[in-house]
Amino acid sequence: MTNTEKKSKIKKAKGPIRWEAILPFSLIVLLIALYFHFFFDLHLRKALEWGGYQAVGAEVNIGSLETSFLKASLRIQKIEITDAERPTHNSAQIGDVRFSMLWDALLRAKVVVNEAVVEQIEFGTQRKRPGKVKPIAPEKEGEGIGDKVKGAVLSKAEKEFGSNVLGDAIALLGGTDANEQLKKLEQSLPSKEMLTNFENDLKTKQKEWDARIKSLPQEKDIRALDERIKKVKVKDFKTPQEVQASLQEFDSIYKDADAKYKQIQSVSDDINPELKGLESNYRNIEKQIQTDIKSLEQHFRIPELDPKALTQSVFRDYLAPYEAKFFRYKAMVDKYIPPKFKKKGEKEEEVPIQPHPREDGISYEFAKANSYPLFWIKKTGISSQAGLAPDAGNIKGEITDITSHQTLVGKPTVATIAGDFPSKEIAGLFMKLSLDNRKELSEVLYNLKVASYPIVGRELISSPDVKISFAKASGTMGIEGKLLGLKNVVIAMDNSFNKIDYLISAKNEVADQILKSVFAGIPSVTLTVKGQGDLPAVPLAINSNLGPELAKGFQKQLQAKVNEARQKIEAYVNEQVGQQKAQIEKQLNQLRTQFDQEVKKAQAQLDAEKKKIESRTDQAKKDLENQGKKKLEQEGKKAVDDIKKKLGW
Amino acid sequence: MTTLLKQIFNFLKLLNSENGTNQLAWGLSLGLILGFAPVLSIQTLLVFFVIFIFRVQIGAAFISAFFFKFVAFLFDQPAHHLGKLVLEMPTLRPLFTEMYNLPFVPMTRFNNTIVMGSMLVSFLLLPFAYFGFKAAIIKYRATVVARFKGTKFWKAFTATRFYNWYLKYDEFYG
Repeated sequence: MTNTEKKSKIKKAKGPIRWEAILPFSLIVLLIALYFHFFFDLHLRKALEWGGYQAVGAEVNIGSLETSFLKASLRIQKIEITDAERPTHNSAQIGDVRFSMLWDALLRAKVVVNEAVVEQIEFGTQRKRPGKVKPIAPEKEGEGIGDKVKGAVLSKAEKEFGSNVLGDAIALLGGTDANEQLKKLEQSLPSKEMLTNFENDLKTKQKEWDARIKSLPQEKDIRALDERIKKVKVKDFKTPQEVQASLQEFDSIYKDADAKYKQIQSVSDDINPELKGLESNYRNIEKQIQTDIKSLEQHFRIPELDPKALTQSVFRDYLAPYEAKFFRYKAMVDKYIPPKFKKKGEKEEEVPIQPHPREDGISYEFAKANSYPLFWIKKTGISSQAGLAPDAGNIKGEITDITSHQTLVGKPTVATIAGDFPSKEIAGLFMKLSLDNRKELSEVLYNLKVASYPIVGRELISSPDVKISFAKASGTMGIEGKLLGLKNVVIAMDNSFNKIDYLISAKNEVADQILKSVFAGIPSVTLTVKGQGDLPAVPLAINSNLGPELAKGFQKQLQAKVNEARQKIEAYVNEQVGQQKAQIEKQLNQLRTQFDQEVKKAQAQLDAEKKKIESRTDQAKKDLENQGKKKLEQEGKKAVDDIKKKLGW
Repeated sequence: MTTLLKQIFNFLKLLNSENGTNQLAWGLSLGLILGFAPVLSIQTLLVFFVIFIFRVQIGAAFISAFFFKFVAFLFDQPAHHLGKLVLEMPTLRPLFTEMYNLPFVPMTRFNNTIVMGSMLVSFLLLPFAYFGFKAAIIKYRATVVARFKGTKFWKAFTATRFYNWYLKYDEFYG
C-alpha cells in the first residue's frame, strides 16, 4: 500500500449536502442583490432608451429611472422622444410615469398594475441638443415598404386629383395658345399608328378572302346543275328501271348541290369570325381616339372646372403631411402587429447572419373567472398642469384596461384625454380611442376634437403660377372613424377655418383678381374629408365651400377658353386620323356588304336548285304512281271481262 | 470560467477514479433536466439549487446539460406535438387551470407546448437515465479504465517524477 492510498483512506467521507457551497452560494446571492441595487436601474434605463430608439426611429432619453424590488414598482422621469422630422425638438415629453405591480400577480408570472400615473405631458418642446434620428436603411432590390407606401399614396393622389387644377386654370387664363402648341406636337398619336396597322391587316385579309370567295361555286356551276336537272326524265316511264335511273340521277344532283352549299357555308363560317374580330379592333381604335383626346387635354393642362376637383387641388398639399404622418406611424405599428393580423402570404423580412430561431411552441392561457390575465394595467391616470413647464398643458385623462386578454377582463381598452394647451392657444382638446379585441376582427374607434387651434403661415398651394396660404387663422377640427382588423378604415373629418388672413398671389393679373375677390367673400372655410377602404389606398372624398366659390369665380372667364381648347384638340385629332378612319370604315363596310351579298346570292341559288330537284323527284314519283294505278285498273277490268266471258254473260 | 473548467476536470478525474459513482450519475441525470428545460424557468433554478446544495458532480451536470440542449433542440417538433396533446386534454384542463392560477407554478411555463413536452420526456427519462448512467460508469471503469491502467504506458507514466508531483499537488490543492 502506497502513502497516497493510505492518506485517501484516512480522508473523512463527505455527506450528501455540500455545506462548503453555502458560502459561495451566499456570495453569489449577495452579488446579484448588489447588482440590482446599484446597476440594474442604469442598465434598464439604457435598454429602454435603446429599445425606444429602435421602435420610434428617433432618440429617446430618460432622465431617471427607479425600481423597487419590494414594492415591485417602477418610476420613470422626464421621457423625451425626439421628433424625427425636427430633431431639435421633442415630439412628446412626459414628466413622470410611475406604477407598482401586484406581488400576488407577479408570483403567478403575471403583470397586473392597479393604477399607473402619467404626468406633465408636453408636445414640441425644445431639446437641449438635437436628437439622433435613425437613418433609413437603403433598399437593396426593388422598392422598400416606404417607397411602396409613398408610391401608393402618390398614385392615389394622381388618380384622385390629377394635375393641379387651379394652377392649370390660371395657366390657361395666361393665354397659352393651344394651336401653337399643337403645331409643335411632333409625337404621333397612338390611334394613328393603330389605324395604319389596321389598314394593312385589312388589305391582307381582303386578299385572302377574295381568293376564298373565288373558289366558291360560280354562276356557271349552278347553271350546269340546272341543265342536268332538266335532262332527267320525269314522266312517261315505260319500265320501273327507267324510274329508278331518274331517281338516282336526282339524288346525285341533290348531293352535288348540297356539297356546294356546304362549301359556301364553311367559307362563311371561317370568314365571319375574322370579320367580327376586325370590327372589334375597329371599335378599339375608336376608344383609343377618345383616349388620345383625353391625354392631349391633360398634356395641355385643360382644367375641369369642377368644384370637387378644385377643392381637392386646393387642399391636396394641406392634407399630404397628415397622410404621410399617418402612414409613418402605421409602418411603425406594422412592425409589432401580431402575426394573425398580417396578410396571408406576407413575407417576413429575413434577418441575415443569425441562426434560425428555435421553435416557440404555443402558449395556452388557462384563465378562469376573476383570475389575472398575463398583463393588465387596470387604469392609467394622465394629468398635466399648465404653467409648471413652458409647453405643458392642462390635461386630464385616463387609459383603462390595457391587457393581454380582453375577453377575460371583459372590457375594451379605452383612452380618454381632454384638456387644452394655453401656451399653444389650443383649446377644447378631446380624444377618445377604444381598442376592442374581443371580436373576430379587432375594432379601433377613434374620436378627436379640437375646439380651437391656431394656424400660422400654412400653405395651401405653392406653384410657380399661384400661391395661396393662410397667413393666420383659427381652426376647429373633428375626426372620427374606425379601423377594422387593422386594415379597413373609415374616416370622417370635419374642419373649419375662421378669422382667416389669406396670402394670395398669382402670376396672371386676371387670375390674381379673381382669386382675391373669391377669397375676400369667404370669411370661413370648411373642409370635410370622408373615406372608407382598405389601407393604404383609401379613397377620400374631399369637400369644401372653397370649391364651388372658386368654380363660380373662374366659370365666366375660363369656360369659353376651355371649350375652345377642347374643340381645337378634337379638330387636331380629327385632322390626324379622321380621313384615314373614314376610309377604313368605308372599306370595312364595303367588305362586309360584298361578302354578305356573294354568299347569300350563291346560297339562294343553290336553295332554288335543291327545291327544283325535290319537286321534279316528286313529279317522277307521282307519274310512276299514276301509271301503276292505270295498269292495275286495266288488269282488273280485263280479269272481270274474262270471268264474264267464261260465265257466258 | 476557472471554476467551470475545474469542475469539468474534476468530472474527468472522478470518472476515471473508483469513487463518486452516484454523484456522477446524479450529475448527468440532472443535466438532462437542465438540457430539456428552458433557461429562464423556475425548474432550471431549482435544479441549479439542487446541484449546488447537494453533493452532485457539477461538471457532469454541465457537460450533460450542454449535450442534452442539442438533443432538446432536435426534439422540439415532437415535444411540441406531445405538449399540445397533453395541454389540450379535456380531462386535464381543470388541473391545468388550477395550476396556471397558483403562485410559482406558471413560472415553470408548463402552459407552453414545447416546455410541457420536453418536461414530460425529461422527467420520465430521469430514473432510467440515473440507473443507465450508473451502470455505464461502472462498466466503463471495469473495462476501459482497468484495461488502460494495465498498459505498459500507464505503468511507465505512474513511475515518472511528474506523476508523483501531480499526486502531491492534487493532495494539497485538488
